[in-house]
Amino acid sequence: MVPLQYYLLFSAAMFCIGVFGVLARRNALVYLMSVELMLNAANVVFVASSAHYGTISGQVFSLFTMALAAAEVAVGVGIVLVAYRNFKDIDITNPTSMRW
Amino acid sequence: MALPALTPQYVLGLAALLVLVVDAFTPTSRKNGLLAGLTALAGVTSAGAAAWLYAGGAGRTTLFDGALAVDASTSFFTAVFGCVAALVAVASYDYVREEPHQSAYYALVLLATAGMSVMAAANSLVTAFLALELVSLPAYALVAYLKRDAGSAEAGLKYFVVGALSSAILVYGISLVYAATGVFGFAALADAVAGNAHVTVLGAGVVMLIGGFAFKTASVPFHFWAPEAYEGAPAPVSAFLSSASKAAGFVLAFRVFLLAFPLAAFEALGIPWTLVFAVLAVVTMTLGNVAAATQTNVKRMLAYSSIGHAGYALIGLAALSGPTSSDVAVVGASFSHLFVYGFTNTGAFLVVALAERWGVGRTFEDYAGLARSAPVASAVLAVLLFSLAGLPVGGGFWTKYALFLGAVQSGLWWLAAVGVVNSALSLFYYSRLVKAVWVDAPDETGVARERPTGIYAAVVVAAVVTVALLVAPDVVFSWADAAARALVSA
Amino acid sequence: MNEWIAVGVFAVVAASIPAVMVSASRLLRPSVPEKGKETVYESGEVPTGGTRLNFNIQYYMVALLFVVFDIETVLIFPWTVVYQDAVGAAGLGSALAPMLVFIAVLVVGLGWAWRTGVIRWVSSANTEFNT
Repeated sequence: MVPLQYYLLFSAAMFCIGVFGVLARRNALVYLMSVELMLNAANVVFVASSAHYGTISGQVFSLFTMALAAAEVAVGVGIVLVAYRNFKDIDITNPTSMRW
Repeated sequence: MALPALTPQYVLGLAALLVLVVDAFTPTSRKNGLLAGLTALAGVTSAGAAAWLYAGGAGRTTLFDGALAVDASTSFFTAVFGCVAALVAVASYDYVREEPHQSAYYALVLLATAGMSVMAAANSLVTAFLALELVSLPAYALVAYLKRDAGSAEAGLKYFVVGALSSAILVYGISLVYAATGVFGFAALADAVAGNAHVTVLGAGVVMLIGGFAFKTASVPFHFWAPEAYEGAPAPVSAFLSSASKAAGFVLAFRVFLLAFPLAAFEALGIPWTLVFAVLAVVTMTLGNVAAATQTNVKRMLAYSSIGHAGYALIGLAALSGPTSSDVAVVGASFSHLFVYGFTNTGAFLVVALAERWGVGRTFEDYAGLARSAPVASAVLAVLLFSLAGLPVGGGFWTKYALFLGAVQSGLWWLAAVGVVNSALSLFYYSRLVKAVWVDAPDETGVARERPTGIYAAVVVAAVVTVALLVAPDVVFSWADAAARALVSA
Repeated sequence: MNEWIAVGVFAVVAASIPAVMVSASRLLRPSVPEKGKETVYESGEVPTGGTRLNFNIQYYMVALLFVVFDIETVLIFPWTVVYQDAVGAAGLGSALAPMLVFIAVLVVGLGWAWRTGVIRWVSSANTEFNT
């Protein structure tokens, strides 16, 4: 069996790619995909640890994470649409009517 | 009569469904009053049921194989959420009267409140996470509720962008904690972390969990959504998010860190998380108050002051030291601060809602002389703001005093000192607004103001509760102490 | 580390199969360049416009409702796996009732969306791809 550490390293790489996308990309939809990647990195850890410890709870949590990811995209795309109607763009750095 | 332990949660969830069913049967008729009344009734009923459960003295009830646990802290915070939801619903009756999709608005408020009350009962990282998202997802939609308003859309987008990122970080944190321990339940985690062999993974997970909670409570380092979201959102939604949602984030943070990650076990591992919270508390309250002092926009000032208050409440987690009695005192002080803050801050934001409805502008200058045309609302605003600052005109005085005292008693005198300096600073910018409203001359005199019944009722109730908590604080504070004891010595 | 050698061999074989197929066919086939082969559709259809076009926004609502029921399946699936055992262990009521409540909540949501006209298709003349 592959040791848990490898899965952790793999998921950390996935998570970091997601973080990079979040920081570097300005398109709202690509941003959502990057967040999705971060959530799936967590899923990898859940499923791998679940197998490692021989408990089923981690796998169940990964199902909840998927459900959350879908719900988040549904709400998120709705908000992106509302923003697009107001700003005619889906660049998340564009709406800057409020500043500190 | 013995109620089921989850009565408040059931009431809120069923009320949300009921709102949708009512709207599904009569999709074309306007029924703002009915829906607002239903929402307010559900809020008050759940708060009443929570008080009833506390008075019944049931102790700690574990449900669904330990996924949820109802104790005094659950009922205490459920009461806060129910009351704030009721105030927000009553105020929204006037605020969203002209808007479309009212049933969605009220249903989302109820769903978010239900999620908060489940957060207050979470006893496992699974339920904690699901409840937290049940609060977040409706909140995104509520912030962007005014679809045609660029400010609301921008606020919704920014709130969602930061929220999605922070929930991904939270999930990854949970997954790392699971990788290190193999369990989700709080009680099982408390056993599994003691002498855990995977300190690095566990520590990284805990730090990421703190990040997730910081988002929900609008604390540093995930605070930067708050000013935008509160400024752009409809004012009742700002009130709801900045009081109830923040309190929900705190009760979950308290539950996780007191029940699942015992301080003694973590100090043995070399991860003293109180230190993290102490640093976060100082940075959060300083940043919030300094930024608030430089604002010219009233709603934004309240938003930053809300960040500052998150810093005060964090003292409850920072000043834990070990002995049960002092821990109960400081956690209880933090709980009662969140209770008082729930009413006071909701009231302050609802006064802004009132001003928005009147078409008063957004800056301090625009509020000049508001007292001439609206003396009641202005008096309420003054009371609420001074209570937020910690002057003895409202319950905020006692809670701040107890918090700083608790910090001193656990040896963190510097934390208390920073808190006092910040309170003095906050008095400066709160009194700027009070001065504008009461002393400065208005641009135009003799303006006749309409009196929206709902918002007026909500702000007056908020002010009355705030003042009542100064006069008779013991009812609530003994409840807060019981809530703290339920978590500290669980 | 024997198993890892197997993985490496597998990766090499997997990568070499398509490479061998493509290069072998390049060596064997006759080369007859012809203009008709380079068009997008060899049937002769001439493509118009760009490949990126806006879909009708009303598909969003359909997609949204699809996601709800798609994810519902994810949560029902583990339940069906343990259903037989759960009925044996806890009785029919406690095994079935939670899932019925879950589906009832979703039905309330769907019913609301339907009744409030979320999924009513509005046709408008000025939308180009109005199908």
